[in-house]
Amino acid sequence: MAAMPSAAGLTRALPAGCPPALQLVRRGSKAVTRHWKAMHFQRQKLMAVTEYVAPRPAVPPRCRPPDTGPRPLPREAFRDNRMIAVCQYNAMAGDDVVLLRHYLRRHNIEVKFFLNEIVRPVLAQSKYRNLLPLFVARNLLLVSREAKAKEMLRVLKGVPQVNLLGACIDDTILSRQGVENFAKLPSLEVVQGQAVGALSLLPSQTSSLLQCSSAHLTALLDQHIRRLQEGEGGAPVQPSPEPTGAH
Amino acid sequence: MLQWRLRAPLLTRAGAAGVTMARAGLKKLVMPPDYSGIVIPEKPKLKFLERAPAVPKVRREPRRLRDIRGPSREATDFTQGQFGILALGGGYLRWGHLEMLRLTIGRAMDPRSTFAIWRVPAPTKPVTRKSLGHRMGGGKGPIDHYVTPVKSGRLVVELGGRCEFQEVAPFLLRAARKLPFPAVPISRAGLERMRREEEERRVGNENPWTFERMVRANMLGMRRYLSPCDLHWHGRYWGKFFLRHRV
Repeated sequence: MAAMPSAAGLTRALPAGCPPALQLVRRGSKAVTRHWKAMHFQRQKLMAVTEYVAPRPAVPPRCRPPDTGPRPLPREAFRDNRMIAVCQYNAMAGDDVVLLRHYLRRHNIEVKFFLNEIVRPVLAQSKYRNLLPLFVARNLLLVSREAKAKEMLRVLKGVPQVNLLGACIDDTILSRQGVENFAKLPSLEVVQGQAVGALSLLPSQTSSLLQCSSAHLTALLDQHIRRLQEGEGGAPVQPSPEPTGAH
Repeated sequence: MLQWRLRAPLLTRAGAAGVTMARAGLKKLVMPPDYSGIVIPEKPKLKFLERAPAVPKVRREPRRLRDIRGPSREATDFTQGQFGILALGGGYLRWGHLEMLRLTIGRAMDPRSTFAIWRVPAPTKPVTRKSLGHRMGGGKGPIDHYVTPVKSGRLVVELGGRCEFQEVAPFLLRAARKLPFPAVPISRAGLERMRREEEERRVGNENPWTFERMVRANMLGMRRYLSPCDLHWHGRYWGKFFLRHRV
């Protein structure tokens, strides 16, 4: 049918798959070349506009609050733990540090490493200011919620590079010797048993104490009777019955 | 769990005193890979491909460079082997390239434990050349040699057997570098990862203006400067080249 001369017909879109009406390639190479064929400038612009833009976080990292490197961990370490031991730390190989940490972890002892410049102001304001002289040169903090001094000493004995300087166990500052003595103490259960035993010693003796005097009198009388019998020689006399009831 | 106790000091490296001690540890045993389902065929090496077809072509064929252009539709996935050489661009493989592949791979692989198969056919497409030094004209030249067309994304050779990618990759890379198009050694997992990354890039692209969108809607009249093939290639293919960075 005859094409209607209308504005719509003139601006009819080309169907897909049809080569462009204007063949722009008037000279030069074919579509597939050995060399890198130069793109039309419009195509270059299109390629530049439609480049890949990597996904990035909604809040740029520079707008986030700065991540303060060493957080106030010393405060928590000193607050939450019963035992805090300060050791001198000499250079150790990485594997050995890992092994040490592992062994101490098994007894629930954590190894913490703080810089002196950070620990000193924290300590100066807390009640542990008497520990300040220990925080000189490289040191290690062994913290634990239980006071397992014996296991800690055993582990540290095998590590010559870590020397115990002092400890603060249950708010009591102990020197190295003090820690060793503390380790030699029997465990809490044993001590409790001993205390209970000591306390119950007196009540257990109450009944015997009360019966002591009458029992003593009975024994004396018995002895007297036996002597009299031996003196008379032969007449069997029944021993007097023991006085029952408390006198 | 480490069973042994800390008897010896942890001084396993040459410490301050320069003393080293042997130490025991636990060996982590990795299970060897399971090669039970792999069958090495009778002739494990790459078979010899003829330089020209048995019946030489009489009729000289047009150049038809569209067999280089665009992505490949055949031999894009692994069939029997685990590793292979992936073509990242289009090109023609001549008999020399095929011989190079056959000999390099045949020399480097172990025929008792690995096998290799061709994923490209023998050359069948005739390429004509005019004799050197003559002026234009005088008809089409005689057939000079035969080639195999290869498109981007096609596997050229496949390797399999009782081997790992790390053993196979060095000589596959040496062979891949000599091919007339960019090629890389690849494994099944590597191919999967490549496709997954491409998909992630396509999905995670933050740029609202994509090539595909602009071409489909013919924004700015871009189709005037683009080929109809760009509708389904989305700007990733330009001539025989594969633009891997494009999304």
